[in-house]
Formats: sequence, C-alpha cells, structure tokens
Amino acid sequence: MEQKLNPKVTQQLWYLTVKNFKSMIREVSQLIWIFGYPLLFMLLFRFAYGAEVYVFMAPGVTILGPVVLISQLAGHFADEKESGTLQRLITTPVSRQSILLSGLFSQLIVAVIQIVLMLLLSFLFGASYHPNANIFLVFLIPFLVAFSSLGFGLLLASFVKSAGSAGGLAWFIILPLQFLGGLLVSPDVLLLEFLPTALALRAMTAVMIDGSVAFDPVGLNLILITIWGIGLILLGILLFRRKTAIL
Amino acid sequence: MDLAIETNNLKKYFGDIHAVDGIDLQIPRGSLFGVLGPHGAGKTTTLRMLSTILHPTSGEAAVLGFDIKKDAREIKKRIGVCPQELVLYPRLSARENIHLIAQMHGMAKKDYKERTDELLGKMNLLDRASSLVKGYSGGMKRRINVLMAVIHEPELLFFDEPTAGLDPQSRRVVWDFIRDFQEKESTIILTTHSMEEADDLSDELIIIDHGKIISQGTPDELKGKLGEGDILEFKIKEMEQRDEIIELAKTLDFVRWGKPVGKHRIVLNALDGLRRVSEIMDVVKVKMEDISVRKNTLEDVFIDLTGRRLRD
Ligand SMILES: Nc1ncnc2c1ncn2[C@@H]1O[C@H](COP(=O)(O)OP(=O)(O)OP(=O)(O)O)[C@@H](O)[C@H]1O
Ligand SMILES: [Mg+2]
Repeated sequence: MEQKLNPKVTQQLWYLTVKNFKSMIREVSQLIWIFGYPLLFMLLFRFAYGAEVYVFMAPGVTILGPVVLISQLAGHFADEKESGTLQRLITTPVSRQSILLSGLFSQLIVAVIQIVLMLLLSFLFGASYHPNANIFLVFLIPFLVAFSSLGFGLLLASFVKSAGSAGGLAWFIILPLQFLGGLLVSPDVLLLEFLPTALALRAMTAVMIDGSVAFDPVGLNLILITIWGIGLILLGILLFRRKTAIL
Repeated sequence: MDLAIETNNLKKYFGDIHAVDGIDLQIPRGSLFGVLGPHGAGKTTTLRMLSTILHPTSGEAAVLGFDIKKDAREIKKRIGVCPQELVLYPRLSARENIHLIAQMHGMAKKDYKERTDELLGKMNLLDRASSLVKGYSGGMKRRINVLMAVIHEPELLFFDEPTAGLDPQSRRVVWDFIRDFQEKESTIILTTHSMEEADDLSDELIIIDHGKIISQGTPDELKGKLGEGDILEFKIKEMEQRDEIIELAKTLDFVRWGKPVGKHRIVLNALDGLRRVSEIMDVVKVKMEDISVRKNTLEDVFIDLTGRRLRD
C-alpha cells in the first residue's frame, strides 16, 4: 500500500484560519458588526453620559465590547454545521482540533482589531489615561476578556443548531456578563466579582485611571480571567467535539 | 480480487428508521459502481458510512483495505467526496473553495494551483473562477461541488447524485468528466436515481430500496433478467379492474409479465411489443391511452422488482 503524506496540522490550521477570516470580512453585515459595533458602543456611552461620567465609564466600555464575540464564534460554528461545510471538511484528513482552533484564531484576530479600534476611540472621546498607564496591559485586559468570551461562544456552539439561534441565544450570556460585570451596577454580590467581566473591569480601571500595575487587582485578576478562558475553552472543546464527532 | 470496498451486513438505524439494513458489497478497484434507488432508499447514508463520517449501527466495512471505524484517517487521505447537497463556502471564490480541499490534503501549492485551473477549464468555469461562489448559478455551483471532490486525485471517489438538478448539457459535461476519471484507474461510487445515468456510466450497479440491495449486476445483466421483450406502458381509466386487465394481457403467450405502476398505469413486458399492440388491445377490452413502447431500462428492472417507479 502506498504511503500517504501526513498533511501538516500547522498548515491546515493556517489555511482554515485564513478561510474563516476571508469569509468574515467579505460579508458586509459582518463588517458592520465587527467595526461598527465598537464605534456605536463608544458613541452611546460618550454622549448618553457626557464627558465627565464617560471618564469613569471608559474602562468598562472598552472591556465589555469584546464580549459580543460570544455570538460571533457560536454563529461561525453553527453556520458551518448548518451549511454542511463542517461535514465536508471532515471527509478530508483535517484534525478536528484544527477546525476548532481556526475558528478561535480568526475571532481573536477580529478581537485585536476591535480592541485597538475601541482604545483609539476611547482616547479620542476623552477617556482619561493615567500618565503611567501601562499600554500593554490596557490592551491585554480586553484581549483576555475576548479570549474567555470565545470559551462561552464555544460552549454555546455545541448546543445550538443554527446560526440564527446562536445569534439570539448569545445575548442571554452577553447581557448578563456585561451588566452583572459592572457596566451599570457595581457588583456588591461577592460571587459576581468573579465574573470575567467584573475581574477585568477592576483591573482595567486600576491600570487606566490609577496607572497601577499592582498584583491586586491587576496581576491576580489577569490570572483569574485567563483561568476562566482556558477552563471555558477546554470545556467548550470537549462538548463541541462530542457534538460534532461523527454523529 | 483487489477490492476497493468490502462491506459485511452494514446497517444504520435512526431510531425506528432502518436507513441501511444489511448491505453486503464487494467493489473491485478501478470500477465505476452505481448505486441506484428511489428517494430515501439509503444511498446517502451508505456513502456517509463508507466515507467515515457516520458510524454504522452494526456491521463492518473496509475501504481501500482500511477499517472504517479504526482507520478513518487513512481512508480520508485517499478519498474524495462530492456530497448530494451543494456544500461550498459562499464567500470564497471557486478557486479558493477548491484550493481549500487541496490544502487540507497537504498538496503542494504549485501542484494544486495548476491543477485547479486545469479542472476549472475543463468545466468551462475559468473566466468566473475568481468571483465569489455566492453569485454563481446552481449549475455552476454543482460543477464546483464536483471539482472539490477530485482536486487531490483521490484513489476512491464518492459522487452522491452529482448531476441532480442539472440541465442536460451540464449533465453531459459532468458525465464526461466522471468518465475521464475512470480512465485514471480511480474507483468511483456513484449514487443516482436517474436510470440513464446508472445505465450509461456504471460498470456494475446495485439497486437498493428500503436499505436493502434488491438486485446487483452489470446494467445489461439486470436488464437481461427482464427477458427479451419490449416494455409496453399505457394508461387506463378503469383503475379497479387493473389486476384483471393485467391477468387478461398475460393470457397472451408473448406477454411475459405485467405490473401496475403509479395510479393509472400498467407496464407489460411483451416480445415484439410494438407490432402486437393491437392484439393486446383486443384482449384487454378497455381503452389504452398514452401508449409507449421502449426497450428495457433499469427503471423497468426497478418496476419489476418493486411495482414502483424510481421517481415515485
Ligand atoms: N440523520 C438522520 N436522522 C434521521 N433519519 C435519517 C437521517 N439521515 C437519513 N435518515 C433517513 O434514512 C433514510 C435514508 O436516507 P438517505 O438520505 O440515505 O436516502 P437516499 O437514498 O440518499 O435518498 P435521496 O435519493 O432522497 O437522496 C430516509 O428515510 C431518511 O429520512
Ligand atoms: Mg441521498
């Protein structure tokens, strides 16, 4: 029997990520979502609350933007299931990990674009950055929120059957995470402080406004959010694999 | 004999539905093997099991010498699958769709680029190859659907109704294309509910119904089983008397067999049927409308076996 080459996983991963990304940016409604959403979010908060309040809200607004990636990722996988492309892909020697990771990677690219955009806008709209604010952390915190959001998205993706229901159901996770995480109410309930969004909000406020890099609340919270992210993604992968394995 | 596919009592049940109900197959390498059957017969389900994306309920199958449960990955490296539905990425171009499959198989960039354009040329798609697939017509999409299955020159190809919904001209293009492949010594499994397609293309075929093989052989062997006669088909108004009319017709020595078909029709197998229609008319004593006489087709084989048409 002729020996067949083993296709390289890294190459498959790269090509799938490119494919996902192209598919995203070639759809006008997706583009509006990716770029318009952060803009809208910023504008609303800046002009609904006025310049003075906005200074204090800016950190929150910046980290709560990436939470909508939950709906993006779940929608992406639901779409692949619904349209049959996932079934077609798995008739090739592609590993399921590559398919999964490529979905995550392409969303992380979107997250980076969104976050940079939001930070620039928040700066333009007059958010106050402490002179000692650590720019790397200012970026890293929302990025980790994006990362943990992808975990939620993956969990959701393993339950929903269509892109439509993914988009709808995602809001049942997005809104509680945004609101209970401190967008409008400050969390007095202890448990809520451990939501990834609440953790990120405290860290972001400390970094942006106070110029802090202290372990508590910055370093510790970053670790906790990362644990959230990794835990959710691992759980998501487990569930998703079970659901999309050979059915 | 060197077999591309061998199955042993392969079954797939979806709850109460016995989609595939004990299929035994031996398909030699290099052959074009047809799977003919009506809607819901279990064709797609069989193909999905053989292409390792669906677990059988029971039974065994070896594809290219590999076990479908244990060596799925080895099988996937060597097969190409053209699904029944159009499964394309709408926001990629034709070229990008085809490239993606080649990339998943780890082909070298230079090879797959050249080959993609060659294939697109054969299918008359080269001038639109860079535009997004979502703007393509159904027929163009179907051709891309086929190309995505063959870009990596698989040893074994599964075509699930590749020409469904195509106009006659595009259908020819796809048929020629499939024949080309056969010359390259690939094994091809083709499902269809078009009897012309099964007849024209396959070296050997099975007819399946309700998940079971009801007949197997070369197209000529299968048609030969119906005897020498012609097929005479006609419509009657007197539906209640249909069985009687068939019995009457069968009293003629040149009428081999007769079956009711559909709601109003009767199919007879009659030697020299064309010249002797009037004799049949005399015997059955009812008005025969819409009479047609033809050579045996695979459709008639199916009618003979089940009393139904493939398309019913
Ligand atoms: N995933 C599934 N869940 C439940 N039932 C299924 C599933 N897939 C197929 N079936 C059932 O199994 C039977 C065989 O279906 P299959 O798709 O294999 O038929 P087919 O011969 O390909 O028909 P067609 O010519 O219409 O494509 C049908 O009754 C179908 O409803
Ligand atoms: Mg089918």
